[in-house]
Amino acid sequence: MSRRSRSLVIVSVIAALFLPVLANRDSFPISTYPMYAGTRGTEVSFVTAQGIDADGSVVPLSLATIGASDDPLVVAGELRDVVRLDQADSRCRVIAGRLGARGGDDFADVEAVELVTERHDTVASLRGEDSLRDRTVHARCGVGG
Amino acid sequence: MWSRLVDSTAPAERVAAFRMCVGVFVLLYLAIRVPVFWDLATRSGTTFDGVGLFGWRDTPLPVSMIRTTVVVAFVSGVGMTIGYRFRATAPVFALAMLLLTTYRSSWGQLLHFENLFTLHLVLLAVSPAADAWSLDARRGTIARREATTYGLVMQVACVMVVVTYVIAGIAKLRIGGAEWMFGDTLRNHISYSAVRLELLGGDGSPLAGVVVRNAWILPPMAIGSVIVELSAPIALLGGRWRNGWVAAAWFMHLAIYALMLVGFPYPLFLIAFTPFFPLERVRDIDLRRWLPVQRQSAHSP
Repeated sequence: MSRRSRSLVIVSVIAALFLPVLANRDSFPISTYPMYAGTRGTEVSFVTAQGIDADGSVVPLSLATIGASDDPLVVAGELRDVVRLDQADSRCRVIAGRLGARGGDDFADVEAVELVTERHDTVASLRGEDSLRDRTVHARCGVGG
Repeated sequence: MWSRLVDSTAPAERVAAFRMCVGVFVLLYLAIRVPVFWDLATRSGTTFDGVGLFGWRDTPLPVSMIRTTVVVAFVSGVGMTIGYRFRATAPVFALAMLLLTTYRSSWGQLLHFENLFTLHLVLLAVSPAADAWSLDARRGTIARREATTYGLVMQVACVMVVVTYVIAGIAKLRIGGAEWMFGDTLRNHISYSAVRLELLGGDGSPLAGVVVRNAWILPPMAIGSVIVELSAPIALLGGRWRNGWVAAAWFMHLAIYALMLVGFPYPLFLIAFTPFFPLERVRDIDLRRWLPVQRQSAHSP
């Protein structure tokens, strides 16, 4: 391979990798790598699913129960889409069904599942202070029928 | 630097060692993540949002196609790694992984830790990476190429790493601006990651609370990470520049994992940085030097 051809290969690879940056369009596998690049405030809204016991107290559910996955990025993205697409009721029932099917003592007190958006002051949370600023319930469904 | 890129030479064994490193890593990654890839087949189609190769699709692929691709990836991956019928197995492995990783990012959340090894697989698929240390080479039918050809493969692999980091650094300046380095952005990202994990049933990093309560440490870390990313091209100079940059980049990933539990396995396990080094010299390492028992016996009469 000539020197000119080798130069062309390297220039082409660099150009291809920079293409999404010039087009300002993230994709895969060539990307603009925007993860964690933006600024972020301290108050953030999170979509999640929570168990509710007989007293009305919130019982945190596991990642596997909420999203049938071990990847929080994937589960968080799915839940955002579910709310955006107005499918909270059906997803709530899926999670409640998952909870009922698993059985065991871990979530024995859970009587209902709520799919919610909670707004937290994340820095306050890590400082051990009260962090919940707002809570919106998108769907509520019973566990075990 | 341009001359180093274009005129670089390497033995066929270096590309072969790179092939084996990437092959073993991706096979292990696939084996560990196989439940995730397997379950992609049965995901609800309502949240499907095709990217890359699947940018034209609005609906998920058939279950059988995804699961067949997982099996094909395993089989071709073994072939690619050991260099068996490389001209067929390497492109099939690269294409299968490209399909699986692209498909995995097609559900509303682009996952950026699979980009680099996918790019390296594509590069290896079109490279003479089985000219040495392979079953194909043992058959003796492969003619060696010029050293600049193997050098080009390694340099392109390095360029992929370097450009990836530079783009990530540019993104922080372009999107976050000076605030990203000098403001509270990094503190807020760390606390965001921890709270998100806790609300999704997991546990945030125990170190997250420590650094948030001692936030003075974070702006120097933010500035340092942008410097590491933008200075990636110095790794192409080789020698101490390369060693220093690789160490800094690895430490940056280690810190990200420690503080946010966000792991980039390809660089964390150093495989991403292997093309910067003369990998073929691994065969010259005398393991007996590190075995004290054998050294004693060597001195005994």
